[in-house]
Amino acid sequence: MTEPIDIATLVAARQAGYSLPAPFYTDSDIFRHDLELIFGRHWIYVGAEPEIPDAGDFITVDVGSASVLMARDDEGRIRAFHNVCRHRGARLQQAGRGVLGNIVCPYHQWTYNLNGELIHCKHMGADFDRSGFGLRPVHVENLAGLLFICMAAEPAPGFDALRTAMEPYLQPHDIPNTKVAHQSDLIEMGNWKLTMENNRECYHCVGSHPELLVSLLEYGFGYAPSPQNTKQIQGFNELLAREHGRWEGYGLPSREIDRLEDVTGFRAVRLPIARSGESQTPDTKVASSRPLGAYTHADLGGLSFWTQPNSWHHVMSDHVVTFSVRPLAPGRTLLRTTWLVHKDAQQGVDYDLERLTSVWIATNKQDGALIERAQQGIASLAYQPGPYSPFTEGLVEKFCDWYIGRLGAGLKDKR
Amino acid sequence: MSSDPAPKDFGVTFRSAGGRTVRCRADQFVLEAGEDAGIPLSYGCREGACGTCKLKLLSGQVHMEHNGGIRQREIDAGYVLLCCSTPLSDLLIE
Repeated sequence: MTEPIDIATLVAARQAGYSLPAPFYTDSDIFRHDLELIFGRHWIYVGAEPEIPDAGDFITVDVGSASVLMARDDEGRIRAFHNVCRHRGARLQQAGRGVLGNIVCPYHQWTYNLNGELIHCKHMGADFDRSGFGLRPVHVENLAGLLFICMAAEPAPGFDALRTAMEPYLQPHDIPNTKVAHQSDLIEMGNWKLTMENNRECYHCVGSHPELLVSLLEYGFGYAPSPQNTKQIQGFNELLAREHGRWEGYGLPSREIDRLEDVTGFRAVRLPIARSGESQTPDTKVASSRPLGAYTHADLGGLSFWTQPNSWHHVMSDHVVTFSVRPLAPGRTLLRTTWLVHKDAQQGVDYDLERLTSVWIATNKQDGALIERAQQGIASLAYQPGPYSPFTEGLVEKFCDWYIGRLGAGLKDKR
Repeated sequence: MSSDPAPKDFGVTFRSAGGRTVRCRADQFVLEAGEDAGIPLSYGCREGACGTCKLKLLSGQVHMEHNGGIRQREIDAGYVLLCCSTPLSDLLIE
């Protein structure tokens, strides 16, 4: 690139219904704006409560150059701070997870308690006022066991609406009483928006995800109606109505909620699972014999829950798979996938780890290859934005529309 | 012969220092005894708050009065803070 890119002009010129112009996926200046205005100002999903079950447990969350330290304090509250020492700025915790007493900088041992207060620092003189040098807090919300942070001084509006809408869907599954059965980090060689766009459609599923297709009913993800599929569509719609009625009778809200246009945007729906109707496993039967929450039915389908800008989740009767997306570089993205089972379920007794994880490990790998392929094509000079299917890619458009809208709003605020 | 008993001391063996054993009085912090003998040991606050001097006690017992620099589960797993621990027996430290 020889000329600097005017981001505001690109934002204003974006054509609805078409994929984004190449610089949104490749340009380092736009990437910096994504970190500052999208990831720095919105609620982002970072992990599940059972990742830090006990007092002193911590995880670090790295997003671009930012890093956040999340820990459970002695009162059981989840706290989050910028992972930056107030002395000379050193990264406080490098490890991705662990246990800590106080928060101690390894450089000069400045020591903070889990309220973020500086409680010890040597050689600063008797009149040094420690109270002015506490850790900078980060906003945290715990949505029925799913943890979100907002790094802005003033958090983005709308988390209350998200909570009000989604708690009834999530709480019956009792995520706080699950445990992490497995976690995988996959680095995808593409821009983070390609990871999200790929998640928001299943147009690609039939050609790429043979393992996932066993449990998937493709009509749940959009279709172009034609004389050839009229009967199948009718069959799917009847199944959906019947299952929603049954699940809601159990106290499990199932109907679609679409608030993807909100600043704190999200969507949810409970969808039937194919064959036995139980779980996203190789044979669609539950992977864990310990059901979540108070439910004994195995065939509860799957509650899918998507949030802007960086997550999706599938909640079944026996386990939860939850996905957090973190930009690393314009063409590099971390996808962290976490599998949760009942906290008392024992590996090898109540569940087999391979059966639990194999479908999404295969699917993630396939998606990673597709995202790399998309990035390669978009980075070539021949790329020009192409049209979305009105039947199967409506949610991709909603993601892009949200992104462009929020980036535009952020740019306006900066001026 | 004096009737005053000499202050009691214990042998403290540091596996990290090639298995060297130093003497540590019953009223002395293990960190100090190690430092006096030239054992290379890290520390920060010396108040039991920062946890920099945390090491695993492989055998023996100590009396420890810390200030939040170590978790009960770490204590249960055998860790101690040398800056605020006095020996109650001979010790073997990682």
